[in-house]
Amino acid sequence: MSLDFEFRKQIMDYHIGSEAIKYCYQCNRCTDNCPVAAVTIDFYGTTGYNPRHIILGSLLGYKDLLLGADKLAIWGCTVCDTCDEVCPQHIELTEIFSFLKNISSAKGDAPDSIYAQAKAIYDSAKAIPSQPAIEKRREQLGLPPVVAPDVNELQSLMKNIGADKKLK
Amino acid sequence: MTEYKMFEGCTIGNRIPFIEAASRKVLDKIGVQTSQAPFSCCPDPTGMKSFDNDAWLTIGARNVCLAEAEGKDIISLCNGCANTLRGVCTQLKHDSNKKAKVNSELAKIGKEFKGSIDVKHFVDVIKANLDSVKGAITKQLTGLKVACHPGCHYMRPVEWMESDDPMRPKNLAEIVAVTGATVVDYDELALCCGSAVTNAYPEHGAEVLKKKMDSIKKAGADVIVANCPACFQQFDTQQRDLSKKYETDYNIPVLYLTELLALAMGISGDDIGLKFHRVRLKEILEKLG
Repeated sequence: MSLDFEFRKQIMDYHIGSEAIKYCYQCNRCTDNCPVAAVTIDFYGTTGYNPRHIILGSLLGYKDLLLGADKLAIWGCTVCDTCDEVCPQHIELTEIFSFLKNISSAKGDAPDSIYAQAKAIYDSAKAIPSQPAIEKRREQLGLPPVVAPDVNELQSLMKNIGADKKLK
Repeated sequence: MTEYKMFEGCTIGNRIPFIEAASRKVLDKIGVQTSQAPFSCCPDPTGMKSFDNDAWLTIGARNVCLAEAEGKDIISLCNGCANTLRGVCTQLKHDSNKKAKVNSELAKIGKEFKGSIDVKHFVDVIKANLDSVKGAITKQLTGLKVACHPGCHYMRPVEWMESDDPMRPKNLAEIVAVTGATVVDYDELALCCGSAVTNAYPEHGAEVLKKKMDSIKKAGADVIVANCPACFQQFDTQQRDLSKKYETDYNIPVLYLTELLALAMGISGDDIGLKFHRVRLKEILEKLG
């Protein structure tokens, strides 16, 4: 396992506006309060989802540890934002995790559900596209039809940003 | 009278519209007006944000632009949508670099994010109109024991959501209490329902949900009240499997906050499609008479 200084720099640059990450003293409050850590980490803390390890790995530049074969390392996050709330150094952990997940998505390593949702949004501008059965149910419930979004505009935005290239 | 742009969101609008039916009826009863707009996916703070943060920010800002064009605030029926739209507004208002970058993308489709409107979670709109809610209640839900589940994205990150205590939430309980129902305390009130991790790792999602459900069951709740469609679905659709997996009879029905309020306002369960719930409500409806 090697240090990747470019990766380290990327994270430091991303976390602009707050240098808080540099002041992480590994107190473990994030992991102590993480709902997924609670159900995955073994007694010695060597396996399972561990947000404290993500911050340590980011600070040191252990790219392989975070973006390697063990997908749970970053994708175990349930995005509950509890770690952000309890961090005594006010590190925006979830923002750093998003950044790492974005790199993982570009590599083709994200869970299938992530690509499926992005594709649905690209194709229909909705994470869950409109379906005839539900349209009928809306009518039965006395609801107006959902107003159709502008799919072309969404596709233009995603293409210009380059997000379309990450789709599978 | 303020009129909001209704942001029902993908899950409620295109999967579980009975929640929208209850919500619209309750908003009508308390005099909150809404109108529609061609909103896209918010997009999902647990999905699209993980896929591409720039796309998340820009698509979110585009939705805000649609409401800005009419000079109206947004009311969201969903934690995820409220979280994204409020998060986007907060980030763009406080980071001029991000705002410039997003606006350069929006300019290509003839739009500009100004930051001139507010995004409200429906729980906060209801709380602000609590006197009207009290006035519209015709049937006290006395004896009904409720476990509240506000859900992560209603209260965290607090810098975005700004409406409740992020670890000891109380707004939902305050609203539930006006129906005459009894709010029961339980240890895991602030715990996630496990929905987002369930998509990638169902086994870990089930473990998180089990902790939540065990705590709710121990507190003796008749019903869970939620204000997020992702949490609602996690509770409503996963409970049967959870009961089998852990050989425990959970079987605790789930009501959306607006469904609970609709019942207290004398609206019939048939009119708001309560039959579409997976965990049956028969027992609590009989209890309420």
